[in-house]
Amino acid sequence: MSEYLPLECSRAATDYQREWAKGLRRDITSGKSYAFVNADTPHELFHHMGMPIVTNQWWSAIIAAKQLSEFYFDYMESRGFHERLARYSSLPLIAELEGDTSRQPWGGLPTPSILCARQSADDHQKIFSLWAERTGAPLALLSSPAVPDPQPDWWRLARDDWETLYGSDRLDLMVAEFEVLIAQLEEITGRTFDRSSFASYMEAINEQERIFEEASALIAQAPRCPIRISEQMPNVMIPQWHRGSDWAISHAKRFRDELTERVQKGVAVVPDERIRMMWIGAGLWFDTGFYSAFEESHGAVFAWSMYLPFAADGYIREDKGDPLRTLAARVSAMNEQLHQPPWINAWMVEQARRYRIDVALMLIPEHDRFSGHGSLYAKQALEEAGVRVIEVWSDMVDPRQWDRDAMVAKVTPVLDDVLAEKN
Amino acid sequence: MPKIDASSASDAARAELETAFAQRDRYLTGERTRVGIFGNGMPTALVEAAGACAVHVELAEVTTGGGSPIDVVIEPFLDASVSTFLNRFSRGEFADLQGIIFARDDAPALIAYQYAIEWVRQGRANSAVPPLFLWNLVHTDTEPTRHFNRVQADKLFGFFEAIGLRRPGPAQISAAIADEKMRAASLVKLSEAREQGVPAAQALRLRNAGRFMPAPKHGELLNAALSLIEKTPAAGRPRIGVIGSPLLSLKTYDMFDRLGVVTCDLQPWGDVWPGNFGDAKDLDELLVSTAADRSCHRIVPSEAYRQAILEATANAGCDVVICQLAQTDDTIGWEVPALAEAFSSRGTAFVNLGFRDPEPDEAWLADAAAAISAALGARQ
Repeated sequence: MSEYLPLECSRAATDYQREWAKGLRRDITSGKSYAFVNADTPHELFHHMGMPIVTNQWWSAIIAAKQLSEFYFDYMESRGFHERLARYSSLPLIAELEGDTSRQPWGGLPTPSILCARQSADDHQKIFSLWAERTGAPLALLSSPAVPDPQPDWWRLARDDWETLYGSDRLDLMVAEFEVLIAQLEEITGRTFDRSSFASYMEAINEQERIFEEASALIAQAPRCPIRISEQMPNVMIPQWHRGSDWAISHAKRFRDELTERVQKGVAVVPDERIRMMWIGAGLWFDTGFYSAFEESHGAVFAWSMYLPFAADGYIREDKGDPLRTLAARVSAMNEQLHQPPWINAWMVEQARRYRIDVALMLIPEHDRFSGHGSLYAKQALEEAGVRVIEVWSDMVDPRQWDRDAMVAKVTPVLDDVLAEKN
Repeated sequence: MPKIDASSASDAARAELETAFAQRDRYLTGERTRVGIFGNGMPTALVEAAGACAVHVELAEVTTGGGSPIDVVIEPFLDASVSTFLNRFSRGEFADLQGIIFARDDAPALIAYQYAIEWVRQGRANSAVPPLFLWNLVHTDTEPTRHFNRVQADKLFGFFEAIGLRRPGPAQISAAIADEKMRAASLVKLSEAREQGVPAAQALRLRNAGRFMPAPKHGELLNAALSLIEKTPAAGRPRIGVIGSPLLSLKTYDMFDRLGVVTCDLQPWGDVWPGNFGDAKDLDELLVSTAADRSCHRIVPSEAYRQAILEATANAGCDVVICQLAQTDDTIGWEVPALAEAFSSRGTAFVNLGFRDPEPDEAWLADAAAAISAALGARQ
């Protein structure tokens, strides 16, 4: 089997983020403010105000990738937090509470000027409130009333008919809460939110996500998968944390173009690809090497993870003349679309078909219930669509429940069966 | 143990309340159309104003492994009240309800709603399932949320009309609020009665019996049941506060009763229901007071939840505060260290009993009793 060569742009993405983080530290040390925010909040408002953000889930993944999560979760329990609380969203808080910044990646984070979370999961406001208590930073909480009548094919409606999909009352409320947040940001930064240029900034984000959509289609339609999902993730998510910026758009193009070249040349993760798999859920951040575990043994490649296709379906929202409302449409159910039936089950089936998936591994974090909800509905829908589904009861950032050998042993017979059927 | 007076009227009222509690959502008043409610945070006065009786559906005795087809989509981390409800729902057990309303800001209720409507959407539900409605009230007090909450009330009234009830007018709403206030006064007496000898387990039953009958009837029955209560002040007995996950285990309350007097019961199925109506007189004020309910985990500002616990347990003069958690807890656990610290700093014993089943076994109860006794002993 030939050696897998990573894309050149992958290193560029991680280098950029590392340099950005260093620059951020430098800026903060010299008095610049930054925000610590959850992934499903309106990053666009912070970016447009020129206020850097650190995303909770990204920072969590970084801590886990540094193999620090086990230490912090042990510490978490020693502080009196029980072991069944969510981990992905709380790992940065626990690192903050532990207090030794020298232990943290890149010397840890200074105190943010503002915290922002959306009440999509019940524990998010608890976690961010504890952070606010600890640091004294103000907390901006965005309401999250539910969509009472969720349409299964949300990704079709979300681009143009988002007013119908998400509900005018919910969008009205979210826009009103954006206005409050904007006023807070104006006060912190001393700058005025430039409403006249916000529409073009939002359009730049749409442009970026359309490029990712092309990249997703390339992988879905390629005879053989051209890159590992462990490379998809940084190439998508790092630009997403900087979405709409010149660098992010440029990087998205570079990523798409390298993919195009690979597909045209017939470069594949597994030259003799025989099985296509999807990884459902957040990344297995402490063991991303697992994603290549079945390439040699079964010609099985993980072709799909949510980050790339969600860039298009979760983000592209056509402007109807009010860019703040358009942003509300992007944000108001961002996380829910990945966890709530019928949204998650319908989207999984759609994606599995597009990517020609044979087997799905479904991460079910039982102690991060919001992320686990809807899993079995999605499993059932995928199985009805002909996809074999393997449940992975583990956590995105906590390795204590992860046994790679046991998981390989669980997946192997399923892949054997698929190969036997194909033969 | 002192008992409620044996007069026939009082006994009959108490018996009726005990029957309602025992039968829960199967208790039939025979008076009006019944509308199901799942979760705290939905003002039942609005259901009453529409001419129906609100009946809570989430307090049924927990059943697991019911063997219903819906079990295949129920993850093990769903709350027991949700999985029990979904099993019953899928079997058509709520066919006699005119509709069911789910409170979005009650965590189990939202999941119950989402899983139930998906089951219906997929065409897998019993054809007799009632219409479902999500009560999307936001627990924040700003002008935009007030407007949003008024819109939700309007949607609720549209739902009432769609299921054949009347659209409540101002007079009906005001009357229903007045009924709720009368009930609330009776419930205050019930809470106080714990200090006069009514066991906490019994108080729990008599309070929650009201989740299955009209508010005025509940208030009247409570007044009758409590009218001739023996006064046995609990002076000298340890004063207990209860916090944590929804708890309906009578054995657990019996254990609390053996160890002291529950003077403050803040778990979701304790004294916090049916909510505080304050000075509300009309719909707008009712919505504001409901949105300001500090027993809701989702209230903004977030610190209000913990502050409410600290204030209530202080006002109740608790010697010990007991925290107990459902196996599925993912919210209260975030408060525990700060609560422990706050209680410690003011000299109140705090006992976190940790996880327990909906109906804890004898070993858990014995361990819990020992832990509480030890904490109380350490104070002396």
